[in-house]
Order: sequence, then C-alpha cells, then structure tokens
Amino acid sequence: MAMMTETAAGGTRPSHFLMHLAVALVLLVLGGGYVLSEILQFGKLQFNTTNYGIHWGFAIVVYDYFLLTSTGLAMVASLWHVFGLKEFEPVARRCLWLAFAGLVGGVVVLFLELGAPLTALWATPLNLQTASPLFWKVLLVGAYTVLLGIVLLGMVNKPAAGRNPLMYLVGALAFVITLVAGSVYGMMAMRPMWFGGEVPVVFLIESFMGALAFTVFFTHLKNGFNHAHMRPETRALFEGTLARMFAIAIALHFVLHAGRAVTGLWSNAEGLQVWGYLVSQPLFHMALWGCVALPFVLMVLPATRSNGLVQVVAALLVMVGLLISRYEFIIGGQMVPLFKGTWAPPLLQYTPSTGEWALLVLAVGLANTVYAFAAWKLGAEDRA
Amino acid sequence: MPKWGMVIDLETCTGCQACTTACAMENNRLPGETWQDVLFYSEGEYPNLNLSWLPRPCMQCENPSCVSVCPTKATYKDEGTGIVLVDWNKCIGCKYCMVACPYGVRFYMDEAPVVQPDVRATYPGEGRRSWNPPFKMPDEYEDPSKGIGIQPKGVVSKCTFCYHKVSRAPEGVADLDEDNPETKEFTPACVRVCAPKARYFGDLDNPNSKVNELIAEKGGVRLKEETGNKPQVYYLSGGGAPVVPGNRSRRT
Repeated sequence: MAMMTETAAGGTRPSHFLMHLAVALVLLVLGGGYVLSEILQFGKLQFNTTNYGIHWGFAIVVYDYFLLTSTGLAMVASLWHVFGLKEFEPVARRCLWLAFAGLVGGVVVLFLELGAPLTALWATPLNLQTASPLFWKVLLVGAYTVLLGIVLLGMVNKPAAGRNPLMYLVGALAFVITLVAGSVYGMMAMRPMWFGGEVPVVFLIESFMGALAFTVFFTHLKNGFNHAHMRPETRALFEGTLARMFAIAIALHFVLHAGRAVTGLWSNAEGLQVWGYLVSQPLFHMALWGCVALPFVLMVLPATRSNGLVQVVAALLVMVGLLISRYEFIIGGQMVPLFKGTWAPPLLQYTPSTGEWALLVLAVGLANTVYAFAAWKLGAEDRA
Repeated sequence: MPKWGMVIDLETCTGCQACTTACAMENNRLPGETWQDVLFYSEGEYPNLNLSWLPRPCMQCENPSCVSVCPTKATYKDEGTGIVLVDWNKCIGCKYCMVACPYGVRFYMDEAPVVQPDVRATYPGEGRRSWNPPFKMPDEYEDPSKGIGIQPKGVVSKCTFCYHKVSRAPEGVADLDEDNPETKEFTPACVRVCAPKARYFGDLDNPNSKVNELIAEKGGVRLKEETGNKPQVYYLSGGGAPVVPGNRSRRT
C-alpha cells in the first residue's frame, strides 16, 4: 500500500497509482458527465436503439463485456484460491480487485440502460420468475458481488492471508454466471444467430481469455511496462504458464468464432444471412485477424511469447477484439427484422450514438477509478 | 373461463389499415408504433409485381416466450382470459421480451420516435404518463397492472386484445361480434372496425364459437409454429396455402 513500489532489483520507483487514478477520474467525469446530462435532458431518446428491431444496443454490449471480464478474472484468481496453483498467487489479488472494478463499471452501465432500475432491485428477486435466465443472472450476480466484496474485505484486513475458502463460492458463481449470460442469448430459438447450446461455452472461453488479457495488461502496467521490474515469480508465470494459457484461450476463441462464421455463411436459414453482412465488413476482419489471429501468433511463438511488450500488445488487441466480437454478436443477432414485411430493410443498421459511446468511457473510467483507488489505498497490488 | 382468440381471413382482408388506426386511437399509441399493424410484401419486379399484406396483432400465445424470459413476471398470461399482459408496475424496461418475441409486437417507450416529429414533445405527459395524447381513452379504463392506458416511460407495452373491453363481456358468450348488439361494446377495436369483416373474435375453448368453426372448416393456421409459442391468432389463407405472402391463393 506504499506510495513507492518495491521492485525486483530491490530498489524503489515512483508509484503510478495517482497518475492512474487521475486519468481514470478524467474518463469517469467525461463519460459520466456526458451520458448523465444527455439522459437527464432527453431520456434515452438519443440512443440509437429502436422499436424497429435493435432493442439491445451498445449499452448491453458494454455491460456484458465488463461483467464477463469480471467473472473471467474471478476464475483466473480461482486457479490459486481454489485449485491451489501456486504460480497464480502473484496475480490472484490483482485479478479479484480487477473483477470487482469491472463488475462496478458494467453494472452501472446496465442501470443507466434499464428503463426502471430501481424497480429492478425489488421486482427481480421477489417475483421468482425461475424460467427466465435474466432472473438467475441477477440473483447470481447479486450473490457474486456480496461474496467478492467479503473476500476483498478479508484481503484488506488480513493482507498476508493465503487462500480464501470463500473463493470456492466466488469461483463457482463466476463460472455459472458466465454460462447463464451465454444462455440469455443461446436460448433464443427465434434468433438463429444467437441460438445454440455452444453459446454459453463460447462465453466461458471468451470470458477466460479476456480475463487473461486484462491480467497481462494490468500486471505490466503496475510494473511500468518493464519486464525487469517484475518479481521473479511473477515473471516466471508470465514467461511460462500464463503466456501459454493465453495462447490456448485465443486459439479456442478463434476456432469458435471462425467456426460460427463459416457455418453461418453456409446456412440458408432465415436470420443467418447477417453473417454475410458481418463478414463483408472490415470490422469483422479487424477483429478476427488483427485482434485474434495476430495475438495468437504473438503468443504461440517462443521468441515473442515471453517478451513483455509483445504481451502487452497482444493483450490490448485481445481486449479490443473481444469488444468488437461482443458488439457483432449482440447487434448482429438483432439485425434481421422479425416479422416486418418486405417493406422493412433486409438488415437493420445500427451505430452507437455519442451517448452510447460515452457509456463505454464511463465504464472504463469507473472501473479504473475503483481499481486505481484500491491499488493506492487498499493494497490491490501488494505482493503482485 | 374463456380463452380468447382471433381469426383473420386473409382472403377477405383488404389491407386498409382501419384496424391499425382504430387500435392506435383506442390504446393511445404513438404514431408508427401501433400494437396492431398491417405488414406489406412486394413480390416480383415491374411489370410483374404483386403487392400483398398481412395483418399482425400480438399473437397472445398459449406458450409465450415473452412471459418465460421476463425476469420480474411483469409480462404474464391472464388466467381469466388467456391474454398476455404487461404489468407496468413491475416492468424494468430490460427489453428481453422484445428480443424474445418472434413476431416483433412489443414497444418500449424510451426510444427515438419511429415517425417524426416526436409528438411526445408536442403533447408532454404529466406524472407517470409519458405523453398526453389528444385522443386518449377514458381514464377509468386505465390499469397499469395490465398495461392499459398511456404508456409510462421506461416500460414495454403490447396489444392487450382490448382487455378493457373484452374482460367486461357477458359470461359464457362464445363470440364477440360487432354485428351483435349484445357484444358490440366488448369487441376489440380492430375487430369492430374491420369493414370487410376479415376478423373474428371468440372463445377458443368453446366448441360452438365461430372462431373454432372457421379454424376447423377453413384450415386456420398459426404463424411461426416452429417456435412453439402456439399463437391464439389464426389465419385463414384459402385452404392451407402459406400464410406469409408468397404463394397464397387469392379470390378472383
């Protein structure tokens, strides 16, 4: 928790915590200020979602992105806390604080998107609609938030404590939330692009891959993007198991992503023609080749895999690629209008409004504010 | 207890949109966001062009996916009538029901208007009401727990089969027919105004109802059966011909 961070060489270097916090606060004020002023003035009329077919817009993309990053990070932390993989101990604390920070950012965006967020607080748990995956998602995220908070409080109070048994529950909840989040889309038989039993598994792999990317980026950020500043055990993890695990996760994501695109392109089923449109767009190729295939190559080649800066580049590409994939999946699943006649366009068009982009800035700012504050005052980066 | 259903005769429907207009007036709908709509289909190219249409209310499904996905039970199936309703007091505006409805018949209030200019700015609402339409229904009909009235901000709405009329129908009646003076006032607006009489409304659980007779004798079919939603709206398309325009038979 010191303002100076001990380095591997035994020296000290100025802390980046305050700089991180300052940048995060600027993003929070800019994003939050814009979106709040817009909502207070116009409601959500400025958002580009419509009653014509794109019901879930960029806000849901951002929410799911942050929530699944959070659950993935909890799963990475569980590698130490639950499975006892000692190698992951140096990053477990960071992962849990990042999980909490991401959760806060995502949930705030969701509350700004919901029509009646205060009603949601009581109406969801009290009405017990067990058939709805969203009911379970809310219930599980609530339990996850509370338990994660307790684990983090324990870390603040007993910084030297080892594995926390509560993490069995946190890890299990993170795992189930990720599957349920996938089911929210995978159960939609009326939307063929979303429908399928493999969707929860895709979400699980993407969640884990994203979490590894965030772990890589924030660990390097803490060490000033300099491998030499890492503690020996952290460095060993980053040059060994974690880098390999990252490569495998990216490869699985590539196979699933490309596989769904290929089968979607092949099929004649109504609703899957959206794949033809998506594949014709530069964004799809930027995500698949630039943000999945390229990081995979970087992480699979021994010469680049253990290079700190290359790891950071790969992590950043994966983080951006995941956001694009999430966007294409959620928006793409709604682009074919359901039952609107031939006078409706064959594919609905959607681009996020300025206010919807501001939600992303808000989420990034808020999550980083929480994390930077935790690193500064609550020991989120101690022993990492 | 009745299970209200509708039969729409596509061979008789002229696509005049009287049903759409009546629905908008009866249920305080925003322009372009009518619960009842007529979808148009163009087939072929000039000069061999064919225009066809499909009236499309909410299907009031027997097994509605919108009810299953609603995390708060705000969307529910009324046991007394078989009509799918929305409780605006419980709706959280998550729009999952809109995503899950295969027929695209749900509307969220906090969206940019489908038709410009935004009349909500011209007729601003008071209290929970999101706007103050000049043609609104009598206040005594409003019931937020059933999604009837002027739609508040932040919630989803849908066709109620004119629940505020239908639910007051005399007990045991088999059909609600605009030509019958005893049931005229309880007939849904879209049925009542249908000039060519392409719409029929009655109790699907009553074997003597006209709707059951039509479904049986003329081969009534439902839309998107593959979803398993089992609509309570049936279409007559001329002896088993496809309902959605394509090869539907026509009177000559």
